[in-house]
Amino acid sequence: MADNPTIFIVDDDEAVRDSLSMLIESAGMKSQTFGSCREFLARRALPQRTCLLLDVHMPEMSGLQLLDEMAKRGIKLPVIVMTGQADVPLAVRAMKAGAVDFIEKPFTDELMLDAIQRALKAPAAKSPADPAIKERLAQLSPREHEVLLHMVAGNPNKVAAYNLGISPRTVEIHRARVMEKMAARSLSELVRMALAAGVEPGSG
Amino acid sequence: MAEGKSNLAAQDATSDPYRRLFDAAAIGIKWSAPDGRLVEVNHSFCALLGFERADLLARRYDDITHPEDAPEDRRQFARLMAGEIPSYTIEKRYIHKSGEPVRVRVTSSLMKSPIPYRISIVEDVRAYHQAERVRQESEARLRSILDAVPDAMIVIGERGLIESFSPSAEKMFGYAAGEVIGQNVKILMPEPYRAQHDSYIGRYLETSEPHIIGIGRLVTGQRKDGGLFPIELSVGESKLEGRRIFTGFVRDMTERESAERRIEELQGELTHVARLSELGQMGAALAHELNQPLSAIVNYLQAGRRILQAAEMPVPPRVAETMEKAAAQAERAGQVIRRLREFVARGETDRRPENVNTVIEEAAALALIGAKSAGITTRITLRPNLPPVVMDKVQIQQVLLNLIRNALEAMESSEERILAIEAATKDGMLELRVSDTGPGLPPEVAGNLFQPFITTKSRGMGVGLSICRSIIEAHGGRISTAKRPGGGTVFAFTLPLEA
Repeated sequence: MADNPTIFIVDDDEAVRDSLSMLIESAGMKSQTFGSCREFLARRALPQRTCLLLDVHMPEMSGLQLLDEMAKRGIKLPVIVMTGQADVPLAVRAMKAGAVDFIEKPFTDELMLDAIQRALKAPAAKSPADPAIKERLAQLSPREHEVLLHMVAGNPNKVAAYNLGISPRTVEIHRARVMEKMAARSLSELVRMALAAGVEPGSG
Repeated sequence: MAEGKSNLAAQDATSDPYRRLFDAAAIGIKWSAPDGRLVEVNHSFCALLGFERADLLARRYDDITHPEDAPEDRRQFARLMAGEIPSYTIEKRYIHKSGEPVRVRVTSSLMKSPIPYRISIVEDVRAYHQAERVRQESEARLRSILDAVPDAMIVIGERGLIESFSPSAEKMFGYAAGEVIGQNVKILMPEPYRAQHDSYIGRYLETSEPHIIGIGRLVTGQRKDGGLFPIELSVGESKLEGRRIFTGFVRDMTERESAERRIEELQGELTHVARLSELGQMGAALAHELNQPLSAIVNYLQAGRRILQAAEMPVPPRVAETMEKAAAQAERAGQVIRRLREFVARGETDRRPENVNTVIEEAAALALIGAKSAGITTRITLRPNLPPVVMDKVQIQQVLLNLIRNALEAMESSEERILAIEAATKDGMLELRVSDTGPGLPPEVAGNLFQPFITTKSRGMGVGLSICRSIIEAHGGRISTAKRPGGGTVFAFTLPLEA
């Protein structure tokens, strides 16, 4: 490949940085690693085709703070947030702060490389909604859509039940249907799809 | 008439023993003629009305009797004259020399010889009336107190028989006063006290060694329906007309006991919550710490597999398979950790919309019961019309309880002791503040107060506030501390108004 993309990696754990860069290089891409957000911000020009793999939990400056800082400085590049914690509100915050994707650690090479490919196709912008996702969203009943909004907001079933005026048991049933219709294997995947399709948590 | 007067007047006031006796009597005595003239009066009568004897003897009945009281006196006197009655006693008013009325009780009878003189014995009843009024007032006051206090009052005599049973006692024990007065008080207690109570009294009368008198104890009472309930009994002893009576004040402790039980429960829950939070924190830390090396392992293995594939050289098939399986196992380990975290984070929390004011009031009441709250002014400022806030009530009450208890402890040696609990709303958040007038936080502690194992207390692990912080942050809120203007500390935490 003449135009080999360079993937930036920001993670405070050296083994993670090293193994990730090996994985990326094994897929025929270049990588550059940074042990902290400040180190990344200190670098000079950015190559044309690139994306950033960003860890959330880091001392001093967290991944989310770096996203805010990048927005302030006008640094535009697609960011994939990596987190060890399947925390929906955190994922939502990351996506809102400009991340194009988020991935739970540990991940398979396939998942990560696919995410990188998607990010590279949509530099500095949220990936355009997959028409298949839009189609699946359209299949949800109004009530299922409401439940989806609560799921994406990270609300527990009881809260959703209270707000919707239905029983928590009914919420559970709706949740299962939403997962099924959206073909989501995990809650994180559901959130990622929903956010990519422009579903706004809390707009219910 | 003239004869009578002269008879008496002529007698030597100093030589006649009867005369001396007459004057020495503590009670007023007067003689009067049927036409109302005063014939003789003694010293006490003169003193009662403030006149000299000579002045009085120059006056008549009408001059010294209150006009309103005269008709009744005349009516009775007429009956006396008619021989219908041998004597009569009435209360009436004389007029003192100063013009003030003097209330007296007068017993009048006739001395028929030689003409019907009227002899009146006159008692001053002002002191009696005054005492009576005081007695009635104090009785009314006592009754109003007894009616108002929830404590029941039961009076028994030396033989244990009930002499008085207050309305509160009726309510508490389910007996009407009429049913139990005259009965042995032991019917109000269960066995074995019931069988032994008479001997308790006997022992006390014999030895004067108090076991409950003046001490007050938590004992068990028995209602008419047989139901048992905890009571706090204090007994006082007094002497009435030479015999001893015992007055028991009985307080129903049912609610207090249940409040104390509730505190114990809550403390149990706190320990539970604390353990869970620690587990949660540990789970989160573990997830992060183990996920990093696990991610690295997975990445290395997958990178290795790809490199081998790309190298286009013969690789023993078992090697690829082994690497594949190793990656799968590392990922499995990641799943286990994730599930553990999810279980700890979600499994045990019970969040639902709660009324904030109720949550605060309950927590404050619980924190203050059994605490050293003497001399502490508590100000609770609630905010009406707050929407219900989604929370795990037990956890949030634990946080409040913790902060309030800390505040109370902080003020133990303060002169001014004000505990303030306030609710406010700010930027879509509910803010609860607990402030004290204690000595404030040492600066070296204030910074890392919410870290585990930081404490200003001689006892304690210092995990309370770190747990509070975990609880609040798990609710999407923040906890912070500030100096209270004028001295002391403010702890504040927020909760999202809308989840």
